[in-house]
Amino acid sequence: MSEAAVICVDIGSTWTKGAIFRHDEDRFSLVKRASVTTTTDHLPDAFYGVLNQLEPKRDWSEEGRVPLYFSSSAKGGLRVAVVGLVPEMSLHIARLAAFSAGARVVASFPYRLTRSSVAEIERSQPDILLLCGGTDGGNERYVTENAQVIAASDFGGTIVYAGNNLATDAVADALANRKLVVCENLMPEYGKLNTEPVRNAIRTVFLDSIVTGKGLSEIVARFGVSPVPTPLAVFNLVQAMGEHLEDWQNFAVIDLGGATTDFYSFSEAWFPESDAIIKGIIEPKVKRTVEGDLGMRISAESAFISGGDYLRTALGDEGVLSLQDYVHRLLQNPAHLPTDPKEIEFDRHLAGACIHHALLRHAGTVEEVFTTKGPVLVQAGKDLRRIDKIIGTGGYLAACARNQQSVLIGDQMPEAAEKVPLVPQSFSYFADRDYLLPFIGCLAKDFPKQAALTAVDYLVQSGDQVQIPSPTLCKGGHFL
Amino acid sequence: MRPKNIVLGVIGFDCHSVGNKILETFFTEAGFKVHNLGVMVSQEEFINAAIETNSKAIMVSSLYGHGEIDCAGLRERCIEKGLDDILLYVGGNLVVGKTPFAQVEEKFLKMGYDRVFGPDCSLEHVAELLHQDLLSREEKED
Repeated sequence: MSEAAVICVDIGSTWTKGAIFRHDEDRFSLVKRASVTTTTDHLPDAFYGVLNQLEPKRDWSEEGRVPLYFSSSAKGGLRVAVVGLVPEMSLHIARLAAFSAGARVVASFPYRLTRSSVAEIERSQPDILLLCGGTDGGNERYVTENAQVIAASDFGGTIVYAGNNLATDAVADALANRKLVVCENLMPEYGKLNTEPVRNAIRTVFLDSIVTGKGLSEIVARFGVSPVPTPLAVFNLVQAMGEHLEDWQNFAVIDLGGATTDFYSFSEAWFPESDAIIKGIIEPKVKRTVEGDLGMRISAESAFISGGDYLRTALGDEGVLSLQDYVHRLLQNPAHLPTDPKEIEFDRHLAGACIHHALLRHAGTVEEVFTTKGPVLVQAGKDLRRIDKIIGTGGYLAACARNQQSVLIGDQMPEAAEKVPLVPQSFSYFADRDYLLPFIGCLAKDFPKQAALTAVDYLVQSGDQVQIPSPTLCKGGHFL
Repeated sequence: MRPKNIVLGVIGFDCHSVGNKILETFFTEAGFKVHNLGVMVSQEEFINAAIETNSKAIMVSSLYGHGEIDCAGLRERCIEKGLDDILLYVGGNLVVGKTPFAQVEEKFLKMGYDRVFGPDCSLEHVAELLHQDLLSREEKED
């Protein structure tokens, strides 16, 4: 390996992948890549397996600095349970914060924890429990009582408290015998977001305890670097691209995986000039959502159920029945790759359904209401209409790009509705053909601008500009 | 003493925002911590805000004449959501036409509001009543 090179490794649940990049002045370029099966019982084995493939002649046990970055989503990734107060307010913000820290939210509960919700938390075994609720100086009762309930439970992970500052002492007293990290309230004022302290706290807990728990400390000790959760690497890259590239001011990334569909957006959530009144919180400019029921393999069955209407419109009743057979076969063998044109078509529509719902759930809505001052537009959630570029990543979408198969994005959007989804109106599609974004994401924290430029170098634009016809509001009004 | 939390907003599809801003400034200066939800606020939003902020009073404005429809059921919904003892104040142009205020007041008191104010009430008086009412609720709790 030459001096000006870096190694990136991503430890996934199935594959451990690595790449060497040459470090030029303003960007990185791919030199070599490798992958081996993840060794779940001892993650460093596969890690060194990849390194040996990348540089067979090197003795990795030797001392000496190696410029190396790595991410991990193995062993379930970073699993977080969220306990908030009002579903649309503190709980919603807590979920967004956890997603933006690269977590998978395995359970979330509003108001008071019941016996069954505690059982659900114990069963889902999250690494972190994020407890919040109440503005600063606001409600203390729920977080205090929930802290007492958690103290009496079998949950053994770390609790991050990010609720009402006045309840901190009561929460700390209740959880005196637990691992507890206290940070600033994620909603200090009603409707105001303050997610950075929570993200930092989650990152610290990930490094301090989870890395050890998942058997990664050996790698940390040898190379002197800490891992990032894989989705956080991608999140950091999205942020770096938006902050450093003029042409990438409004874009989205769809990471379509076997188990989940992750959706990232970089765009202002609300435009005052759109004339819409915003209801609820103004969502963050960089936003990630994760859909645990939408995926191509492990979650194929739940995607089939969630995407029922979409798939029926696309395939007809008979087509849906044959797809159902295919989905059952996928459950038997999640590693299955399509073998004939019919199966390729099934995968295409399954992917279409995942993308359709992930997009609609990430996007906000606008509706028109009549007032004595005339019609008024009311927006809830994030406005994605200005997004003009969408990137597709993940194994399946990368393969589509290599095999020149088209991807369904933005088809079947409603033509008219009471609540119109605020989805992109016209966008170009870019594929992460070589599936490099997680690697490049590892570099985004230390080299934001270079990583951003590198990502664009390896993206492949495919197809024509996609237009999504602007839906009409049912009552006939127009909006900007 | 910490300022007491109150929730403020204009209910329904009513977008009169000037009075709302005046009320926010006035009640803040009168020593309250005002959580102002602005215009076009639904009953659900008032209640959600009261829960998160631990407010002991919800101040509902209505200026466009549809107050009766918009305000009906708020008390019941508060009880459903566990806000058993919350103070509900309502004020503004609550009904269309020239109904005598006494009749309007009676109607809204029946709906479960604790105090009802017309368009020409004195804000100092409202603030004074609010302080008193909150105090007597606290005493009752103790």
